[in-house]
This record gives sequence, structure tokens and C-alpha cells, in this order.
Amino acid sequence: MDECEDVPNDFIKLKPEKLSVDEVSELVISPYCGAVSLFIGTTRNNFEGKKVIHLEYEAYTSMAETEIKKICRDVRQKWPSVKHIAVHHRLGVVPITEASVIIAVSSPHRAESLEAVMYCINTLKASVPIWKKEIYEDEYSWKENKECFWANSEK
Amino acid sequence: QVSVLYFARSAELAGLRCETLSVPRQITSLQLWEEIVKVHPRLAVIRDQVVFAVRQEYVLLGEQLLVLQPGDEVAIIPPISGG
Repeated sequence: MDECEDVPNDFIKLKPEKLSVDEVSELVISPYCGAVSLFIGTTRNNFEGKKVIHLEYEAYTSMAETEIKKICRDVRQKWPSVKHIAVHHRLGVVPITEASVIIAVSSPHRAESLEAVMYCINTLKASVPIWKKEIYEDEYSWKENKECFWANSEK
Repeated sequence: QVSVLYFARSAELAGLRCETLSVPRQITSLQLWEEIVKVHPRLAVIRDQVVFAVRQEYVLLGEQLLVLQPGDEVAIIPPISGG
């Protein structure tokens, strides 16, 4: 295993395969931490009365990884006791109820990891270049996060 | 010469994901957009909803002067929807 078990680590992965909650939580578990907080984003089966068949994600992968690293850096500045951070995002087709994103954070006590997880998902939605297409029965729609400052939601 | 990357809706409108474009070394972000729209007029409809990522830093379309090097990556970034 690790020689330096104490070194805080960021685990960032963008991949087309099904995400695993077990895998992501195990990445951040640490004997020094009493808390692991998790967020799982799953695909809903409906939007404004339309039936969603599945989602498709694409990413500007190199920049997405860099932006997620920036988020991890911000987290460690705001919550210095945070130990490990894992962000796994799925790309390509994601069927209904499966996870599109899993974020896990460990810290000695629960407040920091809970707050850090919320910060991670909120900031990811505002700044990481990943796009989601919702596929309905007879059409599709590129989604726009309300957190994205250059989206025109009034249009 | 820069590499232009297209994503999501902009890739659908342009009909491709990646190409090289010759542009002046110094150019405002708005002028860069206009150069790209000359090649792909269908992109004009999303003008108010996109930003650029130049060397992986976000840049608004506007008067900001860009200093581009050969091989720089410029990406068209429609509104994001990760997570």
C-alpha cells in the first residue's frame, strides 16, 4: 500500500463505465478520518412531463480534469482538515437511475466533509466543461445548468 | 494556426469536433468568434450562449485581446451541464 499513508489525495476520473459507490468511497477512506460524505447524481426518468430514455454526457476531458483539480484545491483551502477527495464522472450513455457522478470526501469530523461535498457538486455544475444531452422518445435536448453563468435561461 | 475544438451543440451546428484555423496572433475574442462563424455560419445562433476556453481558461466573447501561439487550443463552450 502507501508508504505515505497520510498524504491527502485527489482521485479524479472521467470514464464511460458504470460508476461504483464502493470503489469511490474506498478511495477516500482513511484511518485518520471519522467521516466520509458522498454525493451521487443519478439520472431521472422525466423532465417537464417528457419521458427521458437515457442521458448522454460528453466532456472537454483535459480541461474538465483541470477544473476539477481546481475545485479540489479550493476545497482544501476552505476546509483544511479534508483528507481525500474523489470525483468520478461518467461519460457517454447513462441509463435511467444509474449514477452520472459520484463525489466522496473524507475528513476527521463530519461537518467539513459534508460541506465540502456540497461545494464540489455545486462548483462542478458551474465550472466544469461537461455537457449532458437528455434523450426523449422523439427528440433530445442539450441541458444547461442554472449555475452556468453564460447560459441564457430567459431565452 | 490554432486548434479549434467544438463541443455539444456547437459540434452539431459546425458538423465537426476539431479543426485547425489560421487566425492573427493578436485578436479580440469577439473577432475570433466572427472568424469561426465565417467558416461555420450555423454557429451564429448560439453566439449569446457560448464562451471560449483559450489554453483551457474561460474567455467571454468581447473586447478581450488574445495573444495566440501556434498550436494553441481554443474550444467553443456552450452552456455546461455536468453533474
